[in-house]
Amino acid sequence: MRRLAVAIACSLALAGCAVPHQRDDLTLVKSAAREAEVGDVLARYREVRRSAVELLDPKPLSTVETGAVLAIDSGSFEVSQRLAQQQKSDTADLELTDVETPRFGRYPLWFVAVVRDTALGVNRVQVFERSSSGEPWLLTASPETLAETTVPEIRHADGAAVRVGARDGVGMSMSPQEAATAYAAVLADPDAPEATSVADDSFIRQMRATTDANRALQDVDFAQTWEAQDVQYALRTSDGGALAFVTLQRTDTYTVDDGLTVTWPEGSPQQAFLSEGISGSGTLTYLHQVLLYVPGGSGEPRALGQYGGVVSGDSGS
Amino acid sequence: MRTRSGWALAVLGVIVAVAGAAIMVVLGPDSRVTTGPHAVETDAIAVVTAPKVVRWADVQVDVLAEVPVRKPIFIGVANAVDVQDFVGRTQRLEVTSFDRPWTIRTRDVEGLPNLPGAPTALDWWLDSSAGLGGASISTRLPDQTVSVAILSVGSSNLSGLQVTVAYGVTGGFAKGIALLLLGAALVWLGVLLQRRMRRADGVDDLGEEIVYVYVDEHGVEHEISAEEAADLEVVEEVEVHDADEPPPPAAAAEPAPEPEPAPEVDDAEEVVVYVYVDDDGVEHEISADELAEFEVVDDDEEEGR
Repeated sequence: MRRLAVAIACSLALAGCAVPHQRDDLTLVKSAAREAEVGDVLARYREVRRSAVELLDPKPLSTVETGAVLAIDSGSFEVSQRLAQQQKSDTADLELTDVETPRFGRYPLWFVAVVRDTALGVNRVQVFERSSSGEPWLLTASPETLAETTVPEIRHADGAAVRVGARDGVGMSMSPQEAATAYAAVLADPDAPEATSVADDSFIRQMRATTDANRALQDVDFAQTWEAQDVQYALRTSDGGALAFVTLQRTDTYTVDDGLTVTWPEGSPQQAFLSEGISGSGTLTYLHQVLLYVPGGSGEPRALGQYGGVVSGDSGS
Repeated sequence: MRTRSGWALAVLGVIVAVAGAAIMVVLGPDSRVTTGPHAVETDAIAVVTAPKVVRWADVQVDVLAEVPVRKPIFIGVANAVDVQDFVGRTQRLEVTSFDRPWTIRTRDVEGLPNLPGAPTALDWWLDSSAGLGGASISTRLPDQTVSVAILSVGSSNLSGLQVTVAYGVTGGFAKGIALLLLGAALVWLGVLLQRRMRRADGVDDLGEEIVYVYVDEHGVEHEISAEEAADLEVVEEVEVHDADEPPPPAAAAEPAPEPEPAPEVDDAEEVVVYVYVDDDGVEHEISADELAEFEVVDDDEEEGR
């Protein structure tokens, strides 16, 4: 009897594995990337970035970065080149702590990787995007949070991170796009009507301090504008809110009286882009990638981290 | 109830065994069914299956695509999201339905006369191959929506394309054997279970018929019902076995009943035998007519003579 039981068990094991079956769900859907693929993408990114840093040349970055993050990094490399400085390199002490891969029915595909840099004490919440099947994975956003900042837990369905539409405000005080617009409005004007619906976080305070310092310059009219770009990446958090990657464009315009020239201190990014200073008027353009958390319910949107820098300068006339 | 379970198990075993044998016969020792080569009429540079054409998962599929004059050709299988994006703007022949062994419907889709890039440079193919004059893949269909793509590489097209398809189950023949063995084991188990239950439950549970018989004063047996039998005294119980059923063990057999005295029979048709005993004591049967010539010595009737 025992032998019979063993024979039945063996037969079941042999016959039962990987039984061909007709699939009921023929939905056109794909997980953005497999785990091994994420590892390969990150390894390639680090290798190319390391080469770019060693060469102090942003050109290789265009093979692994795109959009705002490429503009910010190129600007940063340009500043380093002009000021003959070393570019800040990635430390070797990097740890991949989380990967969020949504599902898609069409391109573009994207996923989020959280990388901890223990030496610098920051977490990089990076978005990699593949715009079409023939294109490589490129880094499109990389806001940094402090190591002690808690990133909200992401909601999953069928093993994949759940996305939120840019204009989907269900369950939140506002949609990710509305939050981005309101956030930009508050940055531009502390007295804007949106100020009551956006949290007064450390990024807003830091930007206001910079603005106040520029406005304090003698014989200079300073104006600043903020504009939110279209939100492309947002994930649903477990509390029903959203974690949105928002790109904000900041434009600082300096107008000086005739016969005057405004210069910046040695080593500053402004000095690198406007080495001759501004006579008449000049503009500096910045891009800031903000990790914006819109809590579930009626909570106010707030920034958890950012990554930004000057991307262009125009000394005007 | 447990007897029925035994029967059910045995029947299930037969079904499983037949299924296993069928798999073995259909797939054969190489565990697959091959069809082709089939000509596919097209002058496009891509032949792809529409997203919902490949409906099976965990099926081992081998596809061989051949083109004449050693033209470069590529064949690959990938998630349909990737394939549709890759060939979305390209002139192609789309396979809109496929039935086994080889019945396909196709439609021509207009588009650009070239692919957006070299298919060999892409990393999302689940399985792919390229070659001159022919290329083949052998893959197990995953549990996701996939498309098969046959692509022309370089400046040539797919005119003269011939496709051979083989599909089956990895180790299917061995699995058929396993099912056959499993079925046989289930049958054996069912029979074993039945025998055990028969022994455990006794004769009555096996549905044997009990016949109640009343023997009258003339020794004639009359069959009566169980209710009538309850009113009568039970004199004797006799166990009768079918001819093809082995008798019960000797230890369980009861001793044969003693013959009872034969009742008197005054039946008019009874035959009387007359016997003449000669000097040597040998008996000779004689007729009633011859009886007058002899002296009657004894009138006792002897039954059976």
